Amino acid sequence: MSNTGPPAHPSGPRDDGIVVDGVSRDFGPVRALDKVSLRVPRGEIYGLLGPNGSGKSTLIRILCGLLAPTEGRASVDGLNVATQGEEVRRRIGYVPQRFSLYEDLTVLENLNFFASVYGLKNADLKERREWAIHLTAIGPYRDRLAGQLSGGWKQRLALAASLMHRPRVLFLDEPTAGIDPVARRELWNLLFTLAGQKVTLLVSTHYMDEAERCGRVGYLYLSRMLVEGDPADLTKLPEITPEGTRRVEADCEKGAAAVMNQARRLPYVEDVTIFGNALHLLVKADVPDAKIARDLEEAASAKVTIRPIEASLEDVFVRLTRIQIEQRGEIPTAAGAPR
Amino acid sequence: MRGFLPVLKKEAVQMIRDRGTLQFALLVPAFQLVLFGLIDTNVKHVRTVVFDQSRTQESRQLLNDFVNTSFFDIVAYAPSRAALKELIVAGRASTGVEIPPDYARRRVQGEPADVLVLIDGSDSTISSAALAAANGVAFARSFSELARRAGAKDLPIRTHPLLLFNPDSRSANLLIPGLVAILLTFSGTLLAAFAIVRERERGTLEQLMVTPASPVAVVLGKLLPYLVLAFAQLLFILFLMTVVFRVPIHGSVPLLLALSIIYVFALLSLGLLVSSRAKSQMEAIQLAQMFLLPSIMLSGYIFPLSSLPAPLRVVAQFLPATHFIAISRGIIIRGASFGDLWHSVAALLAIAVVLVAGSTRAFHKTIT
Repeated sequence: MSNTGPPAHPSGPRDDGIVVDGVSRDFGPVRALDKVSLRVPRGEIYGLLGPNGSGKSTLIRILCGLLAPTEGRASVDGLNVATQGEEVRRRIGYVPQRFSLYEDLTVLENLNFFASVYGLKNADLKERREWAIHLTAIGPYRDRLAGQLSGGWKQRLALAASLMHRPRVLFLDEPTAGIDPVARRELWNLLFTLAGQKVTLLVSTHYMDEAERCGRVGYLYLSRMLVEGDPADLTKLPEITPEGTRRVEADCEKGAAAVMNQARRLPYVEDVTIFGNALHLLVKADVPDAKIARDLEEAASAKVTIRPIEASLEDVFVRLTRIQIEQRGEIPTAAGAPR
Repeated sequence: MRGFLPVLKKEAVQMIRDRGTLQFALLVPAFQLVLFGLIDTNVKHVRTVVFDQSRTQESRQLLNDFVNTSFFDIVAYAPSRAALKELIVAGRASTGVEIPPDYARRRVQGEPADVLVLIDGSDSTISSAALAAANGVAFARSFSELARRAGAKDLPIRTHPLLLFNPDSRSANLLIPGLVAILLTFSGTLLAAFAIVRERERGTLEQLMVTPASPVAVVLGKLLPYLVLAFAQLLFILFLMTVVFRVPIHGSVPLLLALSIIYVFALLSLGLLVSSRAKSQMEAIQLAQMFLLPSIMLSGYIFPLSSLPAPLRVVAQFLPATHFIAISRGIIIRGASFGDLWHSVAALLAIAVVLVAGSTRAFHKTIT
């Protein structure tokens, strides 16, 4: 075996890395997942989004065989997670949200341990270990205790430990939570390298920029999958920019916060979000740019430039969440203006 | 059994690196052993006050008899009965002897003489021993007096008590064989519980469960180093016991070690059972206490089993410590053989089998 990474595997029964079909999971009276479905083609990165407690970790733990689904069917690399658990565990890697390698063992000891648990021996073990060390560039720290590594390096070590047995599917539960932007960028580059080697990845995250890099994304909200698909397709969903409305960006030279308060009072503005010195507005389609600019300039006492924009992924999730809140009749948050 | 050897090796490295665990396993027993080895539960030299109103040769003779038992030490003479009682209330003395003014006259005239013995009842060990000793002194003097009057040279019946196995009636010989069992109980249960709960607490158990390692292999691999540690601890305690405290092992050492393995197995399973319920090490300690406390109080280590009320005697039969204490005392003190101890061995074995089966099931349930 060359040390260029996981080899191309023969295709499974279907060319999907992960298939989740109507999976629910109850914890006593609490339904943590409600009829969730998704599909990840082999070699793709799937972004799982959703607020805390929406069921992301539960879904990942079901796919790793740590939890049995109450109903529905899930398969990983063509194998049923509920019935073929042992075989599934041979083919997956799992990087949990919380660092869970042994802090009182060194980097090298941790890697040796996990490699041998996966049945790697002698020359094979050494070769795979060195490959993982090279990939994650953790070499300089090999003799350091894992507990003494910084957050970013711990994440790399966890990733390295989960890769040595050539997993075909990799699950990462908020791998970038709490690590700095440079480490975050490097980690994602690594994930793309793996995807390029036909590893299927499912990554849960809170970061929209990360979601936008994924081939597919799903948005879990209160245990249900609200929407799922290609990020570009999601931004074109009719609910996101309903008929008779359009999205514009208002570029303010200064006083964007004041302008936002003004925008909220305008009858034809459906929704406002602030991005630095700019506002993203959802407005009635029949209101011309010039009128919007004029109305906003009153508050800004500076020039406001209006230009049409596409919906962003964040717009998609914010919009869908609001629609859900309205439908369920819940008290909207302070940010969510009721309509 | 996939993953057994890697887990075993990893656990051994972690165990050796973890100073706290090693200290817990070796220093705590040494400390307790020293403490219990030096304690003497035989009551001697009880502080005694005397209110002697007779002040005659006869009364001094009686007081001498008291002192000669080496049980009573006369520490003060009181001027009145009130003062006598006061000294006992104040805790300056545990017993008081009051000799009436007519003691010598009555003795000479052959009339019964009364002696009042006050005993502090707040310590049951001392009071029961004092009662027996005071009666003994009075009986001995009365009998020899009666014999002299009857012209007999000797008493009709003489007892020759011989204290078997422990001729000097040293407490260490009695306490340490029981302590061996108690120390093993603590470390065996807690080490095993900690080993598993620590991994659960840190999330590493979950990481292990997504690997193809089998749960049984993980548990066995994790517990085996602690079995070795508990065994090393046992050898260490036995070494201190025989060499430092000079408590001889009268029976077979290999038999004792072989039966200890069964006991340690039962304890590790119990620890595993605790770990399947506890989410943190703190919780594990609390759960383990529910078992450890009865193991000390009801196993016959402190109180004889026969002094327990009937329902508690039944509970005691379900504690592995009860049977192992019987075994360790039997082998160490009485030199008992396997044939002498078979019912304790059978009970211990039965408990061990139930615990191993129960804990493996409970552990399986918690990880899936």
